[in-house]
Amino acid sequence: MGVLDKLRLDGKVAVVTGAGRGLGRAMALALAEAGCDIVAAARTRSQIDETAGLVRDGGRRCLVVPTDITDPASVAAMVESAIAEFGRIDILLNNAGGATEGMGKPVEEITDQEWHTGIDTNLSGTFYCCRAAIPHMLRQGGGKIINVTSGFGLRGGRDNFMYTSSKAGLINFTRSLAMTYAERNIQANLIAPGLFPHDNPAMVEWWRGGKFVPMGRLGRDEELGPLCVFLASDLSSYMNGDILALEGGGLAGGHAPTGFAPVVPLEADARRGEA
Amino acid sequence: MVLDQFSLRGKTALVIGAAGAVGRAAAVALAEAGADVAVATTTRAAKEEVAANSCANEVWALDRKGFAASIDAASEADVQSLVERAAAELGRLDVLVNAHDLPFAKPIQEVSPDEWRRVMDVNLTGVFLACRAAAAPMLSQGSGRIINIVSLLAERGMVNGSALCAAQAGVMNLTRALALEWARSGITVNAVGAGWTEGMGILADEDSRRKLDRYLPGKRLARPEEIAGIVVYMASDAAEYLTGQVVWIEGGALSHV
Repeated sequence: MGVLDKLRLDGKVAVVTGAGRGLGRAMALALAEAGCDIVAAARTRSQIDETAGLVRDGGRRCLVVPTDITDPASVAAMVESAIAEFGRIDILLNNAGGATEGMGKPVEEITDQEWHTGIDTNLSGTFYCCRAAIPHMLRQGGGKIINVTSGFGLRGGRDNFMYTSSKAGLINFTRSLAMTYAERNIQANLIAPGLFPHDNPAMVEWWRGGKFVPMGRLGRDEELGPLCVFLASDLSSYMNGDILALEGGGLAGGHAPTGFAPVVPLEADARRGEA
Repeated sequence: MVLDQFSLRGKTALVIGAAGAVGRAAAVALAEAGADVAVATTTRAAKEEVAANSCANEVWALDRKGFAASIDAASEADVQSLVERAAAELGRLDVLVNAHDLPFAKPIQEVSPDEWRRVMDVNLTGVFLACRAAAAPMLSQGSGRIINIVSLLAERGMVNGSALCAAQAGVMNLTRALALEWARSGITVNAVGAGWTEGMGILADEDSRRKLDRYLPGKRLARPEEIAGIVVYMASDAAEYLTGQVVWIEGGALSHV
């Protein structure tokens, strides 16, 4: 079997949370193109219906399940309907997240409610989904878990607390998944997307078109597709507990926010040479 | 179609260190994905030459163009002429894989400065020389993919591994610095952190091997082709926005304390 054939996901079933828009939709469509049937979970029915239409246009099946990932009962019901419809879950893509309440505030102004909402959305939601899906993966003899962290899971941010804490929590949660299930053929890894404006002009403007990103541009949603397929496929069979950050080079420097890295002045070297 | 973005048809690659298990698997995977692939040794040792030739045979068996060269990766002249030959014979140079693999292990008080320098010259300076030589064709094309392969020694210490650990950590951060330097020139620079892999040069000792089988999270070493998958992704159009990253393929070995 050639190396490219190992990317095929025919006959597999992927649960994608936050599948209604942005990166979640792009990754769901890429998984479907690679051969997966999709369980599209998100809060807003109309958005996942649209994703489902696109999946079905490509000839794959798609189950739409409106889900609140911060509610364990809602997550459990979503996984039950996925099993009822398809009988298995091979890939769990925990993409849902966000929660902007309380963002931009210093610690002393953050309310209990804002803290819990942030942690629940980004960290507890992924825990609930893993808890519900892993028994099915174990029964089947394996599976792939893909969690979505962020550069803010690796580095801090000013006035950014729930997001950084929960995204960092996801990284170590994923490492523990890797340790716990490696022998039972479940691989758990992370994607860390950089700045992706999802075609939203306000976000493009806010991030100044990505001019501070080393590569000089922002990410395009569809660029997450092949990366997600790689992590869902047999081609990544020995990758476990690890991070793939797609972000145009910001983390390689990152001496200032958004990836800015100063250039070492050449004349300083010349002066040292003379001394 | 998402899978088409992984295809390397029409691209050309050069793999240095293709006599080693991981370099060889990377070369074959690149060819399977459609690239023409030239391969080279890390040193001029006779058994490396044999292994590189057999790797080139595998490339040809896949109907891809390529050649095998026996070089000393620490020699500026060898590396320069290798890169020029690859660009000339294959028509361009899209992908450079640095899988330099000169194994070395000794307690540091017994390491002579010459031995230390040799490890650095091959494993670290050799990667610098190859990147610098590849810059000419890649900068003029306005595109390129450089993929440096390191091992767990780049990130964690190891008894008797001081020289290799220092060299590989050097390659890891060279990767990040070069990624920034070339971020706007169409060249991406990434590293693959390979876990304990069957056939690795530093895995000669049977006892260590048995212990790793017992202690690794998945209770097994990687097969070389399991490291090669990410190389194909990094080399492909799918990874245009990926740069400056060290991606670990180590079966969870870095997850534990």
